Amino acid sequence: MKDFIHLTGRRNPAHDEIHGYGVMCRLSREETVSPEELRIFVARLMNDISAACFTYGAKDIGHVKAYIEHKTGFLYADTVGDPSDVTVEGRDGEPLSHFTLTVNSVIYGLSEAAVKEATDASLRSLLLTFRLVREADTAQSLGTDR
Amino acid sequence: MTKLVQIAGYLGSGKTTVIIAIGKGLSETGVKVAIIVNDAGAIPVDGRVMQQYGLTVKDIGGGCICCQVAGNLLKTLDVLAGGLKPDIIFVEPTGMAVPHSIRENVKYGAAKANITIGPTIVLFDATRREKLLTYDTLKRLITTQLSDADIIALSKVDLVSEGDIERSREAVRQINPKARVVKLSTRTGEGIPDLVHAIEEMTIPA
Repeated sequence: MKDFIHLTGRRNPAHDEIHGYGVMCRLSREETVSPEELRIFVARLMNDISAACFTYGAKDIGHVKAYIEHKTGFLYADTVGDPSDVTVEGRDGEPLSHFTLTVNSVIYGLSEAAVKEATDASLRSLLLTFRLVREADTAQSLGTDR
Repeated sequence: MTKLVQIAGYLGSGKTTVIIAIGKGLSETGVKVAIIVNDAGAIPVDGRVMQQYGLTVKDIGGGCICCQVAGNLLKTLDVLAGGLKPDIIFVEPTGMAVPHSIRENVKYGAAKANITIGPTIVLFDATRREKLLTYDTLKRLITTQLSDADIIALSKVDLVSEGDIERSREAVRQINPKARVVKLSTRTGEGIPDLVHAIEEMTIPA
């Protein structure tokens, strides 16, 4: 593996001005969430985050993505900032009371701190609207790299 | 011998969706497919979604495979090609990656890993033509990505008019007149058979 070492390290300047933030958390609600409501929740989350990023001064939405996983299914949602074009796909399961949500925002022309604030504030607000409780954060990270 | 096919393009251009569509289709016909994903984002999403569709996925983290962690890509290729021995490995770089850097790095280790190089397919989001080609640094990145393509797929064509499609076609042709341009919609399936055919037929000399 020695041969590979010289290829690593530098960051391409083309990546300048693109910043990201990701969060993974476990959510719950006392009354069950239907598959339809879950789709509405995640679609609204995509729109709210991208709208907040534009409000904070983003030049463009690279992508905002979400992945929801639960015992009987999964959902995958994304947007590039057009409110009329939010994709939500996956496999609906049964009504549920717990699920894991991963959100990944990568934005052009916005600082890391602003991407984090736009993502977190939108999520906090929508959790209240849907009466969802954020039990614990599994992971949280700034940047476009892991 | 394993063929490596790069599906590149800017953030949100539809790379993951097209790989799922093509990967599932090929798998159903008996072609052994593996995918290497380098998700742009602190917490990966794309690899998990692909796995939910039954595809074999290796997720590379720690930075971008076109620059910071290029060595990890070669190690992963080596392991995949030597172990699973897939017919095709799709590489989905981050939306910020420069395809020719990845191709050059792969060429470096391809012979050793018994890999041939297939086409580099770069997706261009036809719904965002003006935005992508407006801002200075973004335009530079998009232009570089398109210049590196053997095939340019104008994605999401079901969401724009014929006039918009033609304007996108013209814009990408000015940047890369040599590349084949394909209209693509994963919602309607338009362009998927063209890409599958190109993947099967095209081999790039090392």
